[in-house]
Amino acid sequence: MTVTFQLNGEDCRFHGDPMTPLVDILRQERFLTGTKAVCREGFCGACTVHVDDEAVPSCLRPVGLVQGCAVTTIEGLSSGNQPLHPLQAAFEAADAVQCGMCFPGMVMSLSAFVRDNPHASRPEIKAAMVGNICRCTGYERIVDAVADCLDQARKAGQLVGGIHV
Amino acid sequence: MSELSATVMNLPRRDAQDKLRGRTKYTNDRIRPDMLHAVLLRSTVPAGRIRKLDVSAALRCPGVRAVATGADAPGLYGIGIADHPLLAIDTIRYHGEPIAVIAAETEKQARAALAAIVLEVEPLAPVFTMAEALQPAARLVHEGWRGYEVITEGGARAGNIAWEAKSSRGDVDAAFARPDIRIVESSFTVGRQSHVPFEPRVAIGSWEDGRAHIQTSTQVPWTVRNVTGRVMQLAPGRVRVTVPPVGGGFGLKFDASIEPITALLARMTGRTVVLENTRQEEMATCLCRENAEIRIRSAVTAEGYIAGREAVVLMDCGAYGGEQVFLTTMTAHTLGGNYRVGATRLVSRAVYTNTPPNGAFRACNGVYNTFALERHTDEICDALGFDPMEFRKKNVLGDGDLGATGQVFEADVLGPMLDRMEALRASTGTSEAKADGRLYGIATTVGTWFVFVGPSAATVNLNADGSATLVTSGVEIGSGTMVQSLPQIVAGQLGLAPDQVIVREADTDAAGLDVGVGGGRTTVSIGAASIAACAEVREKLLRTAGEMLQTRPEDLVLREGRVEITGRPGSGMSIPAVVAHAQATTGPITGSGAFTARNTPAMAGCAMGHFIDALDIPVFVVHEAEVAVDPDTGHVEVLAYRVVQDVGRALNPRAVMGQIQGGVVQGLGYALHEEVTLTADGRIAQDDFETYRLPLAQDAVPVAADLYEGAPSMGPLGTKGAGEVPILAVGAAIGCAVARAIGKPVRQLPLTPPRVLRLLHEREPPPEFPHIAPAGQQTFWAEASKPWSP
Repeated sequence: MTVTFQLNGEDCRFHGDPMTPLVDILRQERFLTGTKAVCREGFCGACTVHVDDEAVPSCLRPVGLVQGCAVTTIEGLSSGNQPLHPLQAAFEAADAVQCGMCFPGMVMSLSAFVRDNPHASRPEIKAAMVGNICRCTGYERIVDAVADCLDQARKAGQLVGGIHV
Repeated sequence: MSELSATVMNLPRRDAQDKLRGRTKYTNDRIRPDMLHAVLLRSTVPAGRIRKLDVSAALRCPGVRAVATGADAPGLYGIGIADHPLLAIDTIRYHGEPIAVIAAETEKQARAALAAIVLEVEPLAPVFTMAEALQPAARLVHEGWRGYEVITEGGARAGNIAWEAKSSRGDVDAAFARPDIRIVESSFTVGRQSHVPFEPRVAIGSWEDGRAHIQTSTQVPWTVRNVTGRVMQLAPGRVRVTVPPVGGGFGLKFDASIEPITALLARMTGRTVVLENTRQEEMATCLCRENAEIRIRSAVTAEGYIAGREAVVLMDCGAYGGEQVFLTTMTAHTLGGNYRVGATRLVSRAVYTNTPPNGAFRACNGVYNTFALERHTDEICDALGFDPMEFRKKNVLGDGDLGATGQVFEADVLGPMLDRMEALRASTGTSEAKADGRLYGIATTVGTWFVFVGPSAATVNLNADGSATLVTSGVEIGSGTMVQSLPQIVAGQLGLAPDQVIVREADTDAAGLDVGVGGGRTTVSIGAASIAACAEVREKLLRTAGEMLQTRPEDLVLREGRVEITGRPGSGMSIPAVVAHAQATTGPITGSGAFTARNTPAMAGCAMGHFIDALDIPVFVVHEAEVAVDPDTGHVEVLAYRVVQDVGRALNPRAVMGQIQGGVVQGLGYALHEEVTLTADGRIAQDDFETYRLPLAQDAVPVAADLYEGAPSMGPLGTKGAGEVPILAVGAAIGCAVARAIGKPVRQLPLTPPRVLRLLHEREPPPEFPHIAPAGQQTFWAEASKPWSP
């Protein structure tokens, strides 16, 4: 069976079992290894991608279900020499990264969250991170960076990930 | 001190942007279509004898290129004792033990071929607990223990006791016989903790020009090199290990495990072979922080003087000795740490069981020994009516005090740190109001750990563009040492900016010996070796510049990329000009440096079977927790957490704060909800993210921390390791705070809601360890002093 979808803005065809998890196609066939397969059961969030702008764990999404959809991975969020997404810049500035393996998924989940929740409070940000586990950082610096990012965007009337806040 | 001011800064991480963009290639991102995939046949019984192992049919399966068994790699490895085969040979000792491995064109083909292996196992009665293992008639987990090569001499060994370390100082019997003392005795038990690094153990092996090359996610490239040599019976120099960025280690990757298998298969096939644990395999065979059983008793006077102390710690090493053999040493320095004690004797035993082998995990047995010691200290205070804070202030180790092995501690550190904790609490306020009707507890605890110094080597090449290349066997596991402290140190020594320092990732063919990244040692040991390398570079640079400037080298300084005449900013010439001149006249400017432990002495006869008799660099912490316990559910909420940490010198305070926040939250998981149990057939029951309850964002609290600088350290620029100890006293602080909140003794971790409810309703039986010593016996030393014999 052939599945056709948009991957980071380009046409992508997959020939094979439509039950194949999307994460395996991204990593093994397209070599988009920024999407991390950590628990493969939907708990850790490290494989989060956007499917039609919604953040989903790609380990639980059979490729057959993305037929006709637009899939964006961490590589597509800010490709080439494009500037970092404001959240990526905030995490870099805050020295939030340690081993780094959870961060692509963290960025994909939270970029969708801040786009949809520009006025989120600190507890709401923490609640939104329930599906993204980090074993290194103890979370607080990530939460602070997201809160600061939203705060600055509000003050400047700027965009965070595509919409006015 | 200009050298220091040029080094200390909140340097950002150079690897952050690629990690955030998903561009960093960890080992398991480097799998290519032309590689063979290896999968392991693992045991499905906890103990047995292999009666038949026939792989010939598997070899004929589609896509299969090689099958290996223990016979292909017969050498044994281990720490202290060589007891561990790469693949089971004749005997199976734990559920999940690798027995054979298949390499095929695809992972699917390799998995399919597993079914074609003919394996017949005669099951043996498993020994699951330390109590069972220490019964006089217990079956031996290692029947041939007497025949193993002893790599390090000194430990007592007997049957299921893989290793015993003892320390003894002063007349403990006399202390316990004093008429003016009260004896307080406590028993504690703790379970295992699983590291759960996001990148599992994974290796890519190839065979190049008659040598093995292993790329792997490890903290110890030299251990992987040496173990691969041992098991394959090759000279270790025929193994090269390189290490891409590591997706989390926490101590799990401080030993070799599956890596040599890829070299073996690469030699058999001539192909590059990848072996990656599935998440289930990773968790089912995790080299966990070990489960342990502790009995401790103290003789304390009415004035609060600790006249005597004795303790026995049993550490479950699982099926093979591994790190626990070494870690028996650390009981003397942790359970025997923190406090001034008149006379002390401690025994620590690593015990074999038919369970998955345990290993090293951030601050190792220090975490539970500190829990036990601090809860015991609170029980002393309860029994004798002392204020816990005043008792600690009166008794913590200070300048000139003796440790358990007779080591003389330098300077008052813990005392002033307790004062700083009170100041920190005054600045943050307390959170009792947030308890909101629940049971509230607050506890301040102390901890003693160390820097695992050991050998490191460094080379610095000064380049004609003004940059310097630092070559070491260091590994970036996430703690930031390779991207923050080391470039800061080299830049500070050579008058460069940190971004001019190129840091080479570990390659055992390029850099000298290193014990590895762990034990808080990277900044200290590799940093010290780097400073020694820089000294040679400076000397050559200043000599060349002196000739060019007609100035004595001692009148020159390195500053902001220039060689300047002292006191005349902007004078002299640029470093690139000097390097270019040197390259044309005397040759390229390079320097090499080395560092190792100084082996601080213990008192003669005090330490037996110890790998480290005394601590070269002790590290102290003070942790304070505030908790609220829901009496209806047993749920513990951490309301606030404060840390005062002895850092020696913080080279990058912001990065150290990040380590403290991360380490404390990992400790909260250990204290409250990360639980590992064994099934009836000896498997680790929690082998996925659904069953193993990791801390989530909503479990975390912001940690208020104060970095205590200035304690003595042989580390470069006065540094100590900062990444390991943040977890040290979390179990202690939470355990003590919960005990005070509920008014019941806490003697076991983790404090899951069901356990807390049982404690509240007095339905949690206290741990009793008759296999350590019968209850009520005058002293358990009589039993503990003689190694058990079969």
